[in-house]
Amino acid sequence: MRPSEFEYHKADSLEQALALLQEFGDEGRPIAGGQSLVPMMNLRLARPAHLVDINGLGLDTIEKKDGVIRIGALVRHERYLAEPLIIDNFPAFIDGVRAIGHPTIRRNGTIGGSLAHADPTAELPLLCMLHDGEIIAASAGGERRLPATRFFEGAYMTVLEAGEMIVAVELPVPPASSSGAFVEMAERRGDFAIAACGVTLEHARGRVTRAAVACSGAGQTAMRAPQLEEALEGLELAHPDAAAAIAAFTETLNPPDDHSASADYRRALVGQLTEQALATACSRAMEAS
Amino acid sequence: MIEITLEVNGETRRLSVESRRLLADVLRQEFNLSGVHIGCAHGACGCCTVHLDGKPRLSCLTFAAQCDGKSVRTVESVGGVGADHPLQKAFRSEHGLQCGYCTPGFIMTLIPFVEEMTAERRMPDEEEIREAMSGNICRCTGYQGIVEAVRKVIGENLEEGAQA
Amino acid sequence: MTQQMDRPKHIGARIQRFEDTRLLAGTARYIDDIRLPNMLHLRFVRAQMAHAKVLEIDTEALEDIGFPTQVFTGADIGDLSIKAHQDYPEMQYSEQPLLARERVRFVGEAVAAVLADDAYQAEDAAEMVFVDYEPLQVVTTMDQARDPEVPGLFDGWRTNIFVERQMKGGDIAQAKAEAAHVIKRTYTTQRQAGVPMEGRGVAAEYDPASRMLTVWSSTQIPHLVRTYIAEELGLPESRLRVVAPDVGGGFGVKGQVFPEEVLVPWLAMKTGRPVKWVEDRREHLTSSIHARDHSHTLEAYVSEDGRLLGLKADISVDVGAYSTFPFTAAGDPGMAAKVMPGPYDFQHYEATFRALATNKCPIGTYRGVGRPSAVFAQERLMDDIANELGLDPIEFRLKNVVRDFPYTNALGFTYDPGSYAETLEKMRDLLAEDRAAAEASSNDPDKRIGVGLACFVEQTAHGTPDFTRRRVPIETGYIAARVEMTPDGQALVDIGLQNHGQGHETVMAQVAADALGIDPKDVHVRHGDTLTTPYSVGTWGSRGGALGGGAVHVAAGRIADKLKAIAGHLLQSDPQKIVLQNGIAHPEGQPDRHVAVAKLARTALRNVDQLPAGMEPGLEAQYSLDGPNDGTYSNAVHAAVVEIDTKTGKMQLKRFVVVEDCGTILNPLIVDGQVRGGVVQGIGSAMLEHFIYDEDGQPLTVTFADYLMPLATEIPEIELHHIETPTPLTPLGAKGLGEGGAIGPAAAIANAVADALGIEVTKTPLNANALWHLARQAEKNRAE
Ligand SMILES: Cc1cc2nc3c(=O)[nH]c(=O)nc-3n(C[C@H](O)[C@H](O)[C@H](O)COP(=O)(O)OP(=O)(O)OC[C@H]3O[C@@H](n4cnc5c(N)ncnc54)[C@H](O)[C@@H]3O)c2cc1C
Ligand code: FES
Ligand code: FES
Repeated sequence: MRPSEFEYHKADSLEQALALLQEFGDEGRPIAGGQSLVPMMNLRLARPAHLVDINGLGLDTIEKKDGVIRIGALVRHERYLAEPLIIDNFPAFIDGVRAIGHPTIRRNGTIGGSLAHADPTAELPLLCMLHDGEIIAASAGGERRLPATRFFEGAYMTVLEAGEMIVAVELPVPPASSSGAFVEMAERRGDFAIAACGVTLEHARGRVTRAAVACSGAGQTAMRAPQLEEALEGLELAHPDAAAAIAAFTETLNPPDDHSASADYRRALVGQLTEQALATACSRAMEAS
Repeated sequence: MIEITLEVNGETRRLSVESRRLLADVLRQEFNLSGVHIGCAHGACGCCTVHLDGKPRLSCLTFAAQCDGKSVRTVESVGGVGADHPLQKAFRSEHGLQCGYCTPGFIMTLIPFVEEMTAERRMPDEEEIREAMSGNICRCTGYQGIVEAVRKVIGENLEEGAQA
Repeated sequence: MTQQMDRPKHIGARIQRFEDTRLLAGTARYIDDIRLPNMLHLRFVRAQMAHAKVLEIDTEALEDIGFPTQVFTGADIGDLSIKAHQDYPEMQYSEQPLLARERVRFVGEAVAAVLADDAYQAEDAAEMVFVDYEPLQVVTTMDQARDPEVPGLFDGWRTNIFVERQMKGGDIAQAKAEAAHVIKRTYTTQRQAGVPMEGRGVAAEYDPASRMLTVWSSTQIPHLVRTYIAEELGLPESRLRVVAPDVGGGFGVKGQVFPEEVLVPWLAMKTGRPVKWVEDRREHLTSSIHARDHSHTLEAYVSEDGRLLGLKADISVDVGAYSTFPFTAAGDPGMAAKVMPGPYDFQHYEATFRALATNKCPIGTYRGVGRPSAVFAQERLMDDIANELGLDPIEFRLKNVVRDFPYTNALGFTYDPGSYAETLEKMRDLLAEDRAAAEASSNDPDKRIGVGLACFVEQTAHGTPDFTRRRVPIETGYIAARVEMTPDGQALVDIGLQNHGQGHETVMAQVAADALGIDPKDVHVRHGDTLTTPYSVGTWGSRGGALGGGAVHVAAGRIADKLKAIAGHLLQSDPQKIVLQNGIAHPEGQPDRHVAVAKLARTALRNVDQLPAGMEPGLEAQYSLDGPNDGTYSNAVHAAVVEIDTKTGKMQLKRFVVVEDCGTILNPLIVDGQVRGGVVQGIGSAMLEHFIYDEDGQPLTVTFADYLMPLATEIPEIELHHIETPTPLTPLGAKGLGEGGAIGPAAAIANAVADALGIEVTKTPLNANALWHLARQAEKNRAE
């Protein structure tokens, strides 16, 4: 269990990294935290001929400007837990980050790596979808802005093209009267989830005015639930009973059926986690107002 | 082959390594640091934890080539051959180890946690202590001795601080 | 000045372990730390199909790989193999070739050995060896294995049953006739892996000048490995040395002789260079040994007033593709059949047990060996009976446990004194509040609390007759110790155990120190090297403390007798009245008239002119201690309190309590550690660990991302209570304790789940998916 041969390149600037990635095409890959890529390489399930180390590029700031919070691709997972811009604006995001792996993994793994790796039940892809995030991908040819909801094509598959890399993620700053929560179910703490659900709410006068719901475990990627979101509008924060709407949503799901969980368990779990996340988001909204 | 400079446990050396050599293997073979153990080589057991520029890092998920100019600490530097760092002593008194294979990884993972708690001057609860070691698997001890060792050494540090 | 001189009792003291320092400092030496000049690294090409004919092994690509390699296949090694046969007519003969010949029988079986100068390169080269297979019909289930239409895995086999036999005692028909209730259930436990944190590994070096072959192996059984290699390779055993360096966990997994342990030395001799193989984690999970893949159908005969009259058992174990050495394919099913009567008093028992061959990794010994599955079945059954009869599960057990010792069970095994009823009563007190809370929770449909327990005996340290009966290729289980004093009054203990976490370097020092009147720190315990230690079976079967400790006690006692004789001579006093303590020898009650133990040692070894006339110089004694015929029986009650979220299937283990009795406790620190470690492995068995194959025999759980073991966050504090009933059958009163922790948890947790959900639980693992389905089923049952 050691990697096959490759050539290592340390990039000192974004331009250099992009030039190298363009030069290597399909044969090259960026390496960030290495927490997903290197296990794959050690198992020889990934065999890039060239690795471009992007750890020296900076890209590790969290900033607020023009109504968005911009998270650099190399921000490590543990950073959010001490970052007021995230804590104050994205309670669901914080819940989700706490559920990622273990301390050493959170200290080294990056958001760019997590999104590009695209594990079906990873937290950050779900959270970026939930928060209407845009992924900013750069290549030698320029930049693309990709809505998170259209970024993931399947398990471990994204729309990124050879030569392209993520440089940042932008999340629109939610209005003041908003709330959110994220809940997941994993076999052990820190494992990739069996299923997870995040909910965000905007509210006025004790009622939901806009809701977003994203869940994982129901398919090859995380997904939003537009019909359910619509159905939640007008919901009373004090009585967040949306069982019927949630059931209508889970009925449409066609989750995978495998040795670790049956399809009907996954379907029920998504519903249950959605109820829980919604209840927590509502009670947080009430506490705040 | 890539030329790198590594500072390992206080000793700086230039060496030439193949791109694909894992930091764990280079530490074991080039620096004779056999306290770096490999339990899974896929990031899931914590046995290979070392400090890279002061922070815990899995040396099985790190290429030596990435560490040019960085400093590495392994368990050998912690309390010497007598293993007399307070956390190592607490592992001994609380029976936090049996076969010892996972032990260097636990020590390297937990030292920063103990230091952090000591700096914050607080005793973490059981759940927090267990969370701090959740990336490390021990198949022998059932973890309890390790939890007790962590509690003991933080307790001692807090007491010492209170007296000072 | 008068001194109060208590006899220092090191046995029973909570002494910190001596071995800890090197393990903590990172200076221990494990198998991968063995580096020899000019060493070759071995990487296996392993089968990717579960059952197939090997048509061709194509190594052409290695010709221009750019570095030197050597490849060996089944054709090169002739008929070298692992032979693990039981001498019963019912047993079908099989061998596991060191490298597959013509046919592979499980994914992960070694097909070719590739050698290179560097481990990375060996892995590169092994990838370039292409094997062409012709698929054969795959056997992956017990039903398929029992189907007479399915072709045998081995030439000449009639069926895919390695062996099917019976054990019985009393008259089962009579029990059935007398029974007011007959309760029949089937219980299954899933396939698991033992997973020590250090995998296996072997290195070997041959020195033609001295004709000495040295083999390093991460093994629990160095002497057995030595004999096997010598016999299989036709080498003089006197010129073979097997060293188990520091071993990073074993749990029984490293208690077999593996094909790799014979092949690596063969390669070292063949190539004339040292060879090392270090297993990787995927190899370990697919190609070492598995455990626990059992299905038990039990039929209990119970009287009107709730007394067990008899038990009939039908036990099947999916043992995989090969019979493992030395406990064979019948090891697990035979053990389950033997221990099924458990702590209960009934005299009619009949078991049919069989080992089924499938295209999976072989089953071998893993902490508990057969007992975790047997106790799961037996203790689930006890709860199911209690339920059906409307009895309290603890009272029902109390009514049936053995209380008068020695007790001879239906199979003729005699139990030495234990505390079966006392441990149950103690547990009843400890659980009172939790049981009340569980009762109260039955109103909440979403959060259910349950309490469950498991009561069991564990036969440990059994003696030679038990092996003879089983006709396994290991004929005995004695442990030998040699104790020697050096002229400075320190002691060397060379013991035929292998220490991989059990604390032998400390416990054996405590025992020797007490006998010799010196400090345990002055005792150097050596083990794991056939060059320095007397022939023994190694560390397994919970025999280290009971037999190893006993052997050291007797051997050191013989030296102590000699020291006393010398002291008596020097002090002009009766040797019978001499006491050895605190490093000195003195007549009882006269500590001022003393001579240092070191002086006595020097007298025996150097100043022999001062010895009593005619006394032989030297200070060395050796003793081999066999176990009592039927062994000594440890007992325990385990209990779990669980809370289940019926909507998500999330189970929280709120409390885990052990009340156990392993006889005399030699070192409480170590006893507690052994029990806790075992319990956590048992919790893994109950809730998480499952080695899964698909219907083509492809393994699906080959990394730690899929094979899930307990992490610190999943485990509550394990609460321990001890009752000490010393056994008269071992020199120190100690019984075995190494495995017990792992035996009870699956049963206790399953009983707690059954209690919480109000449903019969028939299989493990009780992971989230299983619990959710059980909760749905329980809901449905209630609705009907
Ligand atoms: C034991 C363990 C448990 C874990 N548990 C969880 C968990 O519960 N939840 C979870 O979400 N994750 C988990 N992870 C994964 C962890 O979060 C990773 O850090 C993360 O998925 C990948 O980040 P990275 O920076 O390490 O990426 P890398 O491993 O460096 O790269 C991953 C992939 O992304 C590509 N890549 C990296 N950066 C970029 C970029 N900027 N642009 C384009 N492509 C890029 C790489 O080429 C590679 O293909 C776990 C990992 C381990 C080892
Ligand atoms: S060896 Fe690095 S995490 Fe297991
Ligand atoms: S002490 Fe053996 S794995 Fe932890």
